Amino acid sequence: MNQFTFTGRLKTSLIIMMVVGLVSMGLTWIWDDEIHTRFWSNYLHNASFFTGISLMAGFFIAVCITAWAGWYAVFKRVWESFSMFLIVGLVLMAIMGLGVYFGWHHIYHWADPVAAVEDKIISGKTGFLNKNWYLFGTIVIVGTWYFLSSRIRSLSIAEDNDDNDTDFAKHRRMRLYAAIFLPIAGFTSAAMVWQWIMSVDSHWYSTLFAWYCGASWFVSMICLTIMSLLYLRAKGYLQQVSVEHMHDLGKFLFAFSIFWTYLWFSQYMLIWYGNVGEETIYYRTRFDHFKPLFYANLVINFLFPFFVLMRNDTKRKFGSLGLVAGVVFIGHWLDYFLMIKPGVMHTAHEHLSHGHDAGGHHDMSFQLGVQMPGFLEIGTMIGFLGLFLFVFFSALSKASLVAKNDPYIHESLHHHV
Amino acid sequence: MAHTNRNVIYGLYDDEEIMLTAIKEANAQHLEIMDVYTPFPVHGLDPLLGLSESRLHIAGFIYGLLGTLTAFLGMTWIFTKDWPVVFGGKPHWSVPAFIPITFELTVLFAAIGMTFTFYIVCGLGPGVTNEVLDDRITDDKFCIAFDESEVDSAKAKSFLSSTGASEINKKILS
Amino acid sequence: MSAVVSPIRDPLIYGHKSYHDITEDLVSPTERTPSAPWVIGFILSISLLGFGLFCIAWTIWHGIGTWNLNRTVGWGWDITNFVWWIGIGHAGTLISAILLLFRQKWRTGVNRAAEAMTIFAVICAALFPGIHVGRAWVVFYFFPYPNTRGPLWPNFNSPLLWDLFAISTYFTVSLLFWYTGLVPDFATVRDRAKGMRKKVYNFLSFGWVGSAKHWQRWEALSLVLAGIATPLVLSVHTIVSFDFATSVIPGWHTTIFPPYFVAGAIFSGFAMVLTLMLVVRKVLHLEEYITLNHVESMNKVILATGSIVGVAYLTELFVAWYSGYVYEQFAFFNRALGPYWWSYFGMMFCNVISPQFFWSRKIRRSVAWTFFLSIVINIGMWFERFVIIATTLARDYIPSSWSYYSPTWVEIGIFIGTIGLFFTLFLIFCRVAPVVAVAEVKSILKSSGDQYCGPDAIHHGHGHDDHGHDHSHEEHAVAESVKEEVAAVVEAVEDDLKKLEGIGPKVEAALKKAGVKTFAALAGSDTNDLQTILDEGDGNFMGNSPESWPHQARLAMEGKWDELEKLQDELQGGKY
Repeated sequence: MNQFTFTGRLKTSLIIMMVVGLVSMGLTWIWDDEIHTRFWSNYLHNASFFTGISLMAGFFIAVCITAWAGWYAVFKRVWESFSMFLIVGLVLMAIMGLGVYFGWHHIYHWADPVAAVEDKIISGKTGFLNKNWYLFGTIVIVGTWYFLSSRIRSLSIAEDNDDNDTDFAKHRRMRLYAAIFLPIAGFTSAAMVWQWIMSVDSHWYSTLFAWYCGASWFVSMICLTIMSLLYLRAKGYLQQVSVEHMHDLGKFLFAFSIFWTYLWFSQYMLIWYGNVGEETIYYRTRFDHFKPLFYANLVINFLFPFFVLMRNDTKRKFGSLGLVAGVVFIGHWLDYFLMIKPGVMHTAHEHLSHGHDAGGHHDMSFQLGVQMPGFLEIGTMIGFLGLFLFVFFSALSKASLVAKNDPYIHESLHHHV
Repeated sequence: MAHTNRNVIYGLYDDEEIMLTAIKEANAQHLEIMDVYTPFPVHGLDPLLGLSESRLHIAGFIYGLLGTLTAFLGMTWIFTKDWPVVFGGKPHWSVPAFIPITFELTVLFAAIGMTFTFYIVCGLGPGVTNEVLDDRITDDKFCIAFDESEVDSAKAKSFLSSTGASEINKKILS
Repeated sequence: MSAVVSPIRDPLIYGHKSYHDITEDLVSPTERTPSAPWVIGFILSISLLGFGLFCIAWTIWHGIGTWNLNRTVGWGWDITNFVWWIGIGHAGTLISAILLLFRQKWRTGVNRAAEAMTIFAVICAALFPGIHVGRAWVVFYFFPYPNTRGPLWPNFNSPLLWDLFAISTYFTVSLLFWYTGLVPDFATVRDRAKGMRKKVYNFLSFGWVGSAKHWQRWEALSLVLAGIATPLVLSVHTIVSFDFATSVIPGWHTTIFPPYFVAGAIFSGFAMVLTLMLVVRKVLHLEEYITLNHVESMNKVILATGSIVGVAYLTELFVAWYSGYVYEQFAFFNRALGPYWWSYFGMMFCNVISPQFFWSRKIRRSVAWTFFLSIVINIGMWFERFVIIATTLARDYIPSSWSYYSPTWVEIGIFIGTIGLFFTLFLIFCRVAPVVAVAEVKSILKSSGDQYCGPDAIHHGHGHDDHGHDHSHEEHAVAESVKEEVAAVVEAVEDDLKKLEGIGPKVEAALKKAGVKTFAALAGSDTNDLQTILDEGDGNFMGNSPESWPHQARLAMEGKWDELEKLQDELQGGKY
């Protein structure tokens, strides 16, 4: 079976997921405060999370092509299809940008025209934190990512017809696009992370932050790859993806979970050690008001994959590997929750209490959807996941599952750890 | 190691693939191979010889854990009980500050422990002299050796010559 | 057991080598009398080392006052050199460990020399903190040991102490890793040697005989050491960066330092490996083992890490502006336009601009260009550390204590001495041990030798190229078989769907045409979809109903033939 059929049943399930998402978002909108903080923060959380995952898929194909890696060739269509979500991500993030442009939401403190003038720190940043940069930067940059990913994908699909090309002309052209993509993604992804996520805490800054977010996206992407491959295999597709390939993906999950922890620790430890008030406030807030998530983040995203995947056999058993992938995927989703919610809530409280409680004192008692994801957050996530998978599966069904003329396909089929 | 003399009959092969085929043949004929010597690690050899997977990594895990505990508990004891020091207004038990050294000692213990274990279980080390069957084994020859006390020497000889050994010799290993 | 290698890969060993040729080529440099270039190089390096030792003695005799460090600039050339050497020491473990885990075969050509380089560079680095503490004879106070001072422990919360632990661990682990790799090669040297030489190498080779079980354990050990050396190598430069970043000095206290230092270390390490290996391959005639393909791969790593470093520089600059923190902004203004502007521009040019030349394949594969740029990068990475250390310290919070620092001849002399030490050790290493890992090169011969892969292949494994004209017919046949095999694997999974009740040959053909070829696919299908396939298929399938097919297929997929039979007894023409 070299052709994936996007069956009606699967379509129906994914549409149900999207409906769940829409209903959750609708309910969030209704039960929200007057500036719809919860709705918009959930939207930003999921939109940036899934856009980042598709960026990482495209980026990683480019890395593999450049590094002459061969093992992944047998399932590279999965990553190619992941990266096709970038065009949807572009729309999603552009809506966020339009929101900044037209004042639909108050997620970003810097987007408040009064703050941009009166707040000394924010006014110093307006050269970068402004509505034009946000909207047009997003469109141009994500558009570039999509363009390069889709060039690589269309060359890869076109290669399927080059049965007699022993010179691998298409692959050599892919190398060019991959090489261009790497530095572009390297530079611009940082700019996007600062705009989309770091600027939620408008006063705070950390030079490591962009790489930290990237690592989180990357691990999530590997988790989703593992789960998708297990699904496709169970449905009888991609039987060529052997336990050896899964073992390698397991290694990636293991290694990059450690790498993520390394970045987490570097950022946390330096801020903790330096003890500069402007920086520590970031962790102070999370530690005081988000304690369960603060610890859960480390347990789920580090201790759990570390101890489970340390052994070789857990990387080779689909049950344990799939379980870790699922849990860690949720873990990184929570990580993004923890990056976005505290800053957004702070901004919202200030905005709402403007006038009657200028002291900035605000109620931080426990609230579902703020300190902890509630059912509506989970519903929203299910909706976005449904959308992501819908785009993924329809991209997957448009080309053969195995890139039979990839120069490395033969190595990949005989891959041994 | 038992220090009895062993009469060894061995064949030298020019290529590892010929040798691997020969070992399959030996397994089929139920000939007890004493050992196989090669100039580099040949893949696919271990299962043919029925070698069980090395347990070195388990030893490494235990050594590493020992390092983790030594470092972490040591620093905890020193800075909370033995000689508490205030630095930078941080608490005595400053877990983030303990992590770097804990990590380093974990690695150090694991690496030293495993390497020494490796040399000890292999019986190798400074000053050890093991007699070699043929000087070219560390160059380009692949050697299958039989112990004459386990295998009939005529049978071994005919096996070696029929499976393509380029040379067949005998040697007494003390 | 020929390995499967993609036809797009280039060979890594040229010259149609046999195993014996490899031994001969790689071991013989240790057996010949030293060549003239070697002798000249050795005399030169040992003189530099001698001068360095003189300067160290001068420092210890007269005290640290012979250096130009002052109250404001407490760290100067000493710590700059320390960080520079440690950085260089990163490539060895990186090549051995990370590239081993990523199965990059080209590492076998350079790993041995790179590991040696690591060890020598760490020795050079460790020298500096040792002297810089002032009273070098009580340097053992660093270590936690039972003592008569309380017992007074070192401060485990200090990044400087973390550094001590990191560097001693790194040195020890690298040494173990390197030596264990050398043992089989020393055995090869031993078995070719005679007399006294044989005795020496017998001692060095630890009694290695090449037994199958030993090789198995040796490989297990290498793999685990590689596994733990990978986070170790990251941790070492991370901890070096903590020396700076845990402080609250603007320009030092920044969270990107750990990964950025690591990338910079890999960058400079590879540059140094190239500087050395380009000379070694020429002098020892190893062009067929350290090929242009190796050089190109390393240049790609340099380009990648150089660009990562570039991203980090720009991130720092940007965030300094973005932070709105005036001291941070001043620190970067001062770096670029202050009294040490030349070192900032040197750093930017050498580290960010110069590697960009490697975008050109021609330059990546040019020995002269690579050699030149590798030296430029070495200089650039020295500038980077100087910028971070001296520039930042010279302009601190209080303008009245601002200062300017330039080194004395003693400080320069010690630096030159470490270069002498480094090359002396490396030259001795070239005489004593094979500079290229003999056993490891042999183990990749059949997958990467040019008689097995690439345009000049004569032995045909699975994968190869059919550029050749002489034997193109034979090659074509092999290429066809490869293609068929891929096609077979891709299409292999098809089940006999006729085993299910209600599916005949025509229905099966229709299903397979629609892509439903296996029990698994059928089991996962929706009956409505199946009905659509039947409706749209060629032929009249009015009498067939797919209602039970997914159920039957699931049983078949799971191998429950008994249950399937029982079910089929109950079914009537495939209908419930």
